[in-house]
Amino acid sequence: MQTVNLTQMDKEGIAEKVIAMGGEGLLNCVQCGACASVCPVARAGFSLYCKNLIKKLQSGYMEEILEDSSTWACQACNRCTEICPRDVKPSEVVFAFRRIQAEELAISTSAFTPLMSLYETGHAVYNKRSKELRKKVGLPETPPTSIGDPKAVAELQKILDDSPMAELGIFLNLMSRKQEK
Amino acid sequence: MSKIGVYVCHCGENIAGVVDVEDVRQYAEQLDGVTVTRRNLFMCSDPGQEMIRQDIASGLVDRVVVAACTPRTHEPIFRTTLEKAGLNKYLFEMANIRDQGSWVHAHDKYGATAKAKRIVASAVGKAANLHPLEDKFVDVTPAALVIGGGVAGIFSALELAKMGHKVYLVEKQPSIGGAMAMLDKTFPTNDCSACILTPVMVEAANHPNIELLTCSEVADVNGYIGNFNVRIRKNQTYVDWNKCTGCGACAEACPVRTANEFNGGMDHRGAAYIHFPQAVPKKAVVDMSVCINCAGRKLGTEPRISKKTGQPVLAACEKACPSGAIDRSHHLPAEGTLRDIEVGVIIVATGYQVMEKENFPEYAPDSPNVITALQMERLISATGPTGGKLLRPSDHRKPRTISFVSCVGSRDVRHHTYCSRVCCMYMIKQARLIKEKYPDIRIFMHVIDVRAPGKDFDEYYTRARDMGITFVKGKVGGMEILPADQVRVLGYDVDLGSNIEVDADMVVLASAMEQPPTAKLLARKIGLSFDGAGFFKELHPKLKPVETAVEGVFLAGCCQGPKDIPDTVSQAKGAAAAAAIPLCQGKVRIDPTISEVDTEKCSGCGICTPLCPYNAIVLKTYSGRPRAMIDITQCKGCGVCTAACPSAAILLHGYTDVQILSQIAALTRAA
Amino acid sequence: MEQFGMYLGCNIPFNAPDIEQSFRQTFPNLGVEVVDLQGATCCPAWGTAPSFDINTWLAISSRNITLAESEQVDIMTGCNSCFGILAEAKHMLDHDPGRKAQVNRLLSKADRKYSGSSEVYHVAHVLHNKIGVEKINASAKYTLRQLKVAVQPGCHLLWPSAVMKVKEKNPFFPTMLKELCHALGAETPHYSRLESCCGMGAMRSTNQERALDTLKDKLKSMKEEIDPDMIVTTCSSCYLQFDNAQKLLRDKGEIDFAIPVFYYTQLLALCQGLDPAQVAAISETPRDEIIVRIQSKQRLLN
Ligand SMILES: Cc1cc2nc3c(=O)[nH]c(=O)nc-3n(C[C@H](O)[C@H](O)[C@H](O)COP(=O)(O)OP(=O)(O)OC[C@H]3O[C@@H](n4cnc5c(N)ncnc54)[C@H](O)[C@@H]3O)c2cc1C
Ligand code: SF4
Ligand code: SF4
Repeated sequence: MQTVNLTQMDKEGIAEKVIAMGGEGLLNCVQCGACASVCPVARAGFSLYCKNLIKKLQSGYMEEILEDSSTWACQACNRCTEICPRDVKPSEVVFAFRRIQAEELAISTSAFTPLMSLYETGHAVYNKRSKELRKKVGLPETPPTSIGDPKAVAELQKILDDSPMAELGIFLNLMSRKQEK
Repeated sequence: MSKIGVYVCHCGENIAGVVDVEDVRQYAEQLDGVTVTRRNLFMCSDPGQEMIRQDIASGLVDRVVVAACTPRTHEPIFRTTLEKAGLNKYLFEMANIRDQGSWVHAHDKYGATAKAKRIVASAVGKAANLHPLEDKFVDVTPAALVIGGGVAGIFSALELAKMGHKVYLVEKQPSIGGAMAMLDKTFPTNDCSACILTPVMVEAANHPNIELLTCSEVADVNGYIGNFNVRIRKNQTYVDWNKCTGCGACAEACPVRTANEFNGGMDHRGAAYIHFPQAVPKKAVVDMSVCINCAGRKLGTEPRISKKTGQPVLAACEKACPSGAIDRSHHLPAEGTLRDIEVGVIIVATGYQVMEKENFPEYAPDSPNVITALQMERLISATGPTGGKLLRPSDHRKPRTISFVSCVGSRDVRHHTYCSRVCCMYMIKQARLIKEKYPDIRIFMHVIDVRAPGKDFDEYYTRARDMGITFVKGKVGGMEILPADQVRVLGYDVDLGSNIEVDADMVVLASAMEQPPTAKLLARKIGLSFDGAGFFKELHPKLKPVETAVEGVFLAGCCQGPKDIPDTVSQAKGAAAAAAIPLCQGKVRIDPTISEVDTEKCSGCGICTPLCPYNAIVLKTYSGRPRAMIDITQCKGCGVCTAACPSAAILLHGYTDVQILSQIAALTRAA
Repeated sequence: MEQFGMYLGCNIPFNAPDIEQSFRQTFPNLGVEVVDLQGATCCPAWGTAPSFDINTWLAISSRNITLAESEQVDIMTGCNSCFGILAEAKHMLDHDPGRKAQVNRLLSKADRKYSGSSEVYHVAHVLHNKIGVEKINASAKYTLRQLKVAVQPGCHLLWPSAVMKVKEKNPFFPTMLKELCHALGAETPHYSRLESCCGMGAMRSTNQERALDTLKDKLKSMKEEIDPDMIVTTCSSCYLQFDNAQKLLRDKGEIDFAIPVFYYTQLLALCQGLDPAQVAAISETPRDEIIVRIQSKQRLLN
């Protein structure tokens, strides 16, 4: 059956969770559709985007949508937040939901690469060819960032080691490797 | 020794659900001076009041305390009860154990009961010291002032005039008519706005009891219900209206071209102009802020004499006027002229303004083809800038596709949280009118939802769907400007669950109705207050919808909140009826609970005069020395002067020192 | 000389170092000294810490801002994403003392303390509001007269306007970048999708096809409506998308045109007569031809 029996939807704790994770405006939404009308994610045809994500969360959906990766397409462009007539800050609801997905590790494996890179080098994006490119345009091979600055990386790792992100075990391998050293 | 009756009300469950009313009654029984205590489910009901009447009639009580709700709504009821039983009605005191007891302490029954006892003790303490007071009366000036000459003001004025009352109708524009004069046709019947409004405008202008003061504003208001002194400023028109016949020759001759507000800035008028073709009164004005002194004709100077012709060189308007109504040699004061009038009542009917498109950066305000709905009214009106032909502003071509966007500035926390109530209907009206005339134009209505709750409204809306007008449920979030001045509307269709785009030749914004900023000035002069949305606040949303907190001042039309013409006219007639009451009675009652100066004690120090918020106190010479005097029509009994007087010479009746101290004593005594 | 802390981010130093070189070479010509923020890390990108935990995000962002605080300079970023992340973080920290205290507790592990003394600007803000179009115009040796530019301001420079110190008059119809291009003599005719998203970033890593569709929409609006000589942006992410994904679209046969793409300071550098081999050397959509045209004798200003 495609029919949703609303009385059987278990809404327990869902709104509270989203609000606690940063989606404070969740319950203000009146589903006017303005955010969706300008959302690049909605316009590109992804299945979940600001407006319908908010409706689903308001209606008690969670497990049903937890694995949907469309929310990770949100550009954080904040155009929705700029125009929402109810001050919902829809992008923050999207990010709150992402945080819930992350907590459940309901994220694609490709999302881990930048995280690992961030932990190891201080940069989510790193390109091995960069030395060559930099030399080509007359710059020192290493920029003055954390990439050539072990102290900076160590500072960052101290922040990350105690974070809820570390509790998810994302950095486990890297952390043990560090200890071996 | 007084004989006090204490009557404890249950207010259904409102009080008794929290407060132990029997406990309170028993407590009251042992208070000093109390002879009778009773309770009732509803003290304000007939049986409740009958109880009090009986007790008074049988001589059991000569002071009454009702422990119930708020004196704001119920004091008048019980005072009447006392009066009917032959007791002075000011020998009454109310103990509010509901609003200040059961309602605020709903979760603390014990505490609420203890507090109720103290409140009752305090009221009993005061009741023991009450004195009989007598109402005072003053005569009412038999005239009314109506501020604002829109459809609301016109109808209020006409109603009062027809009842036989003198009315001054003040309008700041050159003509009466207001926003309705700008509308093409009107929902839900599609009758032509000018056709139904013009006759009423003319009737108002011709009515012997109505004095029309256009180009005029209220400069100052003093006084009190029954006796308001109002200073009216007639703004300078630079045209002698006694001579002007409204022929419009000056307007045609004037070389200035400036944006014509009446047509939403979509065409031009001269510095000399007539407000609109059906203007009442049909008189010309010269707008000096844009006048260019053509022919070097500075105001207040004699004309140059042409060397060639030997004739004076006149400005275009002067030269054109066949009746000599414009003469620039006169030195006319720019600030206009003042005139004082006296009236007994005031009706405020100052209307609304629509939000301009510049407030909405996301809706391509720079595109000439994005217009407000009020501009659209002018664009389809026969007297509008295009003579009623629908041509888009950028290139004067007929549009093929039009998008209407709803809730622009309404229901939006960034602007106004309220619904403007009429936009859905006027959008549908405009769409229908356009579709009737040009069936080939494609029309999209972007709405959050359609609000059509009035008589015949939903049928009107349904017909629009039948006519092929497309309704898209979903608020528009943005617009993009396409080549050739088209506008791409970025929308969302909730029913399709899909993003949509419309390449529109024109976009109409149903922008919110709001209180114009000038309302603040007027409010300050009259003492009006605002509601949360910024409109003038009525005294009670349900039971006193046309009254205000200022006695003798009434509201009509959109200045009290957005509404359509049927509702505006109903309210205007209601306001006239309410305003007629003091005019018919000829006298207004002055509450005796006001302040009085004991001239023997007064030292004439004058400390009180500047403190009075109502300017009720003046120093007058009395047996050769200055003494404070309080005008009973101005005093509101606030007590500021009483508290401030260093000689304790001012008595606030109903709140004497003895009365207040006895209340404090009762409150501080442990219950 | 006025100083700004140059926050490089990730893409600029590793994927587009010629943009970095263009900052280092053009700003001194405009009277601005570029101060390196030694030890800066990723901002952190939207898909990393901000998608996991707000305080971890704010701690990493504020650590980056403290680098500028200790140099006593304001930050300028060259990437819109970095700008958005840092500006939002700063807004949250400066408007929520409780949050600031929590984050400073985290930062103390790295022996740092965020005070809020440094502002966060974007390179475009510094160029437009701090330096101004007159100085930029005066620094140019070559003019872009009669060249048509499609500008791409990019989302994070527009919304949410509430967190920005420098604001567009109308963020839905931005004009700053247009004015910066006018300062070099170029024309910037309006195209309808000016403010729309390019599809880079999160969208591209989630679903490349949809991201390419999004870009295609935008490119077509540029090509069909104004047929520009080049695309100019002040966002390094947009830059990579327009340059690299444009090639992908061409390879797939989705489009049959190539529009050269520049980061604004690259164009400025060319106008200042700087060496293209250093300031505009890395691209997938060819731009040699237009570079030669820009630095041609006819365009020399005397
Ligand atoms: C686009 C549009 C279309 C509409 N179409 C319809 C329709 O089809 N049917 C319908 O029923 N309703 C319609 N309405 C609503 C209708 O316009 C209002 O209900 C009606 O005009 C309200 O009349 P009013 O007298 O309260 O206010 P107004 O018409 O605003 O009149 C107020 C008057 O007071 C004057 N004034 C203001 N301040 C002062 C001052 N300080 N001193 C002196 N004078 C002052 C003003 O100049 C004005 O003349 C429409 C509204 C809009 C915006
Ligand atoms: S714009 Fe705001 S109110 Fe409207 S659907 Fe989106 S989040 Fe809800
Ligand atoms: S911030 Fe995310 S949800 Fe909001 S409009 Fe941009 S892409 Fe869509």
